[in-house]
Amino acid sequence: MNIQFKKGVLEICVLSVLARKDCYGYELVGEISKRIDISEGTIYPLLHRLKDVGYVTTYLQESAGGPSRKYYRLTEAGRKEEHEQKEEWMRFAASVNALLEGKNDAAD
Amino acid sequence: MLQTEQEFIRILRSRLEGTLPEEELNDIVSDYAEHFRIGKADGRSEEELFCSLGSPDDVAREIRATHLVKKAEDVKSCKNIFHAMLATLGLGLFNLVFVLIPFILLVVLLLVVFLFGIVFAIAGPAAFIYSVLQILGIPAFAIWQSPVAGVFFSIGITTFGLLLVIGDYYLARFFYRIGIRYLKWNISVITGTEDEA
Repeated sequence: MNIQFKKGVLEICVLSVLARKDCYGYELVGEISKRIDISEGTIYPLLHRLKDVGYVTTYLQESAGGPSRKYYRLTEAGRKEEHEQKEEWMRFAASVNALLEGKNDAAD
Repeated sequence: MLQTEQEFIRILRSRLEGTLPEEELNDIVSDYAEHFRIGKADGRSEEELFCSLGSPDDVAREIRATHLVKKAEDVKSCKNIFHAMLATLGLGLFNLVFVLIPFILLVVLLLVVFLFGIVFAIAGPAAFIYSVLQILGIPAFAIWQSPVAGVFFSIGITTFGLLLVIGDYYLARFFYRIGIRYLKWNISVITGTEDEA
């Protein structure tokens, strides 16, 4: 699949996973790459951007039998953004699917 | 190339040193170090983890571009926007078309408007002097029949020239803002290697 495609939707994927639960980086990368084949390294720069704009925050938490891990959590603004982007994506995907399947009733 | 954790972090560090503040760099490096640590505990080899992360050069390029665009947004200067543009340019070959060409066109446009403004602003006083010479009866080049009209005309073109320069300044600020937004969007969609994955 086209790489620009994947990268364009990466942000909503990350926001969506974090909306369900807080994740540490490796866990988040695993969740995403389980479904989308992408260079896993690009998820970290994305997380930093999301942190910069205030959609996510980080906190450290002890893990069982190991050094503490850095967890990412959605902020209130991040939650709102996730909601908006999700709605937008759902509408868009529904329209594209309708077009691809050649349905004619989408216009009315 | 050795595909080890050490090599990944070494490349990342070397590409970002001098651009990112030490603190931010350490923060980024610690993310990848944690990724390797947990991955190895998960039973994966360093090489495997290295491969699925992708090239550290690409990762560094993206982080660099993001950082420089943010810097250009925080501190507005020609130098900063130029660096941000160059860093984004490095993200993909077709950014030559989508970043470099628009950038050059905008810079040329702004320069041309500025030069026109300056020329008009300078031509005004020159025309004014000619007109005054004419009024005083000194035979300068007779550009217009009525020297008094010439005085008004010269004031007019000076004003026009100055307005062009001022307008150009606001135009530049407008393009700067739009440019930053465009570069951010570009970074979030364009990746370094187009043939991978």
